[in-house]
Amino acid sequence: MSISIQRNFGALCLVGILAAGPCVASAEDASSDTVKVLQQRLEQSIKMIEALAARVQELEAKTAATSAAAATAVVVAGSQQPPAPAEAARLQAVEQQISQIETANAARQGDDSGLAVHGFADVNIGNHNPFHAYEKGASLNNLDLYLTPKLGDKWLALFELNFEVDHNGNFGVDVERAQLGYQFSDAATVWVGRFHTPYGYVNTAFHHGVWLNDSLRRPSFLMFEDQGGVLPAHTVGAWLTGGARGESGKVLYDAFAGNGQQIIGGLIDMRSGGNEHGKLIYGGRLGYQWTAGSFEGLSFGVNALDSKINDDQVPENLTDVRVAGAFAVYDTDTWEVVSEAYWFDNVNLYQGIGTHRSEAFFAQIGYRLPYFVPYARYERARLDQTDQYFAQQLTGGSYYRTAAGFRRDLNSKVAVKFEVANTHYTDRTVGEINEFLSQLAIRF
Amino acid sequence: MPAHIHISDRKSKRVAAFPLRRRAGLLRLAFLWLAALSPVAHADDLYVVCASSVTLAMADIRDVFLGEKQFAGPIKLVPVDNSAMQPDFLAKVMKMDAGKYTTAWTKKSFRDGFTPPSVKGADGEIVEFLKHTPGACGYLGSAPPPGLTLIGKL
Repeated sequence: MSISIQRNFGALCLVGILAAGPCVASAEDASSDTVKVLQQRLEQSIKMIEALAARVQELEAKTAATSAAAATAVVVAGSQQPPAPAEAARLQAVEQQISQIETANAARQGDDSGLAVHGFADVNIGNHNPFHAYEKGASLNNLDLYLTPKLGDKWLALFELNFEVDHNGNFGVDVERAQLGYQFSDAATVWVGRFHTPYGYVNTAFHHGVWLNDSLRRPSFLMFEDQGGVLPAHTVGAWLTGGARGESGKVLYDAFAGNGQQIIGGLIDMRSGGNEHGKLIYGGRLGYQWTAGSFEGLSFGVNALDSKINDDQVPENLTDVRVAGAFAVYDTDTWEVVSEAYWFDNVNLYQGIGTHRSEAFFAQIGYRLPYFVPYARYERARLDQTDQYFAQQLTGGSYYRTAAGFRRDLNSKVAVKFEVANTHYTDRTVGEINEFLSQLAIRF
Repeated sequence: MPAHIHISDRKSKRVAAFPLRRRAGLLRLAFLWLAALSPVAHADDLYVVCASSVTLAMADIRDVFLGEKQFAGPIKLVPVDNSAMQPDFLAKVMKMDAGKYTTAWTKKSFRDGFTPPSVKGADGEIVEFLKHTPGACGYLGSAPPPGLTLIGKL
């Protein structure tokens, strides 16, 4: 349209010029040749004007047709009839199908629609194995799977299956936790089976999920029994746990009893099939956790346990292991500060009769920056080597360790961690090692 | 003749442009009218709803959806997520993003054996679930039908 307007304007200018032309020519008495040329040009211009006029008419006709069509469409739309009976029936059937699908999906509560498997895994590379310091190089640690099948109503189940490398470098499979539970209320849940003994914070916060922990590993004395820990990390028995909520926090409690453990081959075994002497481990934990206000994220508590633990020596030792502990945790979006302390007051009942006192503690501080989490930890265990409970354990020696490291989350499921640590062994063997460790940890 | 051409040209421009403008204006009006009536205009509304038997305070909802509160009196609570409204719910009620919500449930599930809330696709499924599941709590983008307990509207 704009092109034709430009053409029209050009033609008008030309006509104007040409119209003025003869006057100028007559005034100057121009020659007849010039007049002839001008006449030819005038004829051409007139033809062009006629063509342009035809084009304008054509465009006007088209525009009128479009307007008419649009008007017709509006009229048709305005007078649209309801759908034919067949169409209505089809729509009704579709609506009914959608409603049925929604009902079916809503009714499907996942009870029998499969069981999700989640877990954790980690691979370590360093100048030492972080869990068995006498081994060096690359190492697999855990492939830890956990299942929480829905049993309906107030029933609960939790299974944690761990494929792990033992202290001999062999792969083994362990059912780390196998718990069946019933919830009476928020204040009381009873579990029976094999569970992580509720003491301190670390043992029931991270379990075998290395990814969950900001640091590369636990304090050595709080490792699991086959990785250097000196406490009975697993119990087979019954566990009552719950909490009471208040305005700004909640009181949390645990009480448990189970099979007394046994030291076999230098490692604490939780006697999943029962023990020979029928004696128990029992204990509890009491804590308070702030969930609101300026102390939100802070929790502290105390715990105690008593277990009759024998070993595989001839003649065997039997020790009444009496442990008291305390912990404090400050866990927020930015801070992770964890501290635990344990005091042992063991009584050797068969051999080395007498009371033996030992202690172990650690403190770790971490700060969650946007891109990484630096942390530092100090840990110390002063363990009486005349106490048969520690003397019979492969890793029952005293030590102190200073460690620093950081965690970097590569995405929401993959984290890489680095740690440098200096460890001094102070009694059973005397010496020190420096460790440079790295770890790739995932959850899925 | 030139004058005629000039007038015709302006007229043709008017004929071509005016209906277009008028149609655009009508479309705009229609859109605004539809938008005013459509639920999309209230997309910011979030209704926290529970099954009829459940009595809860809005302040409890965060704990319910983090597994920290499992019971309302003797009734076992069954939280259910609505994938269509979840970003809104996480921002307004849980005050966390989806990543943090998932991580919180990973820890909760691993530590305490609780299962994360099941996820439904839209309001219709949530309503059906709430109607048929005692103790169920969810959230909707539209007002709940009668027979459900409205815990709060955000």
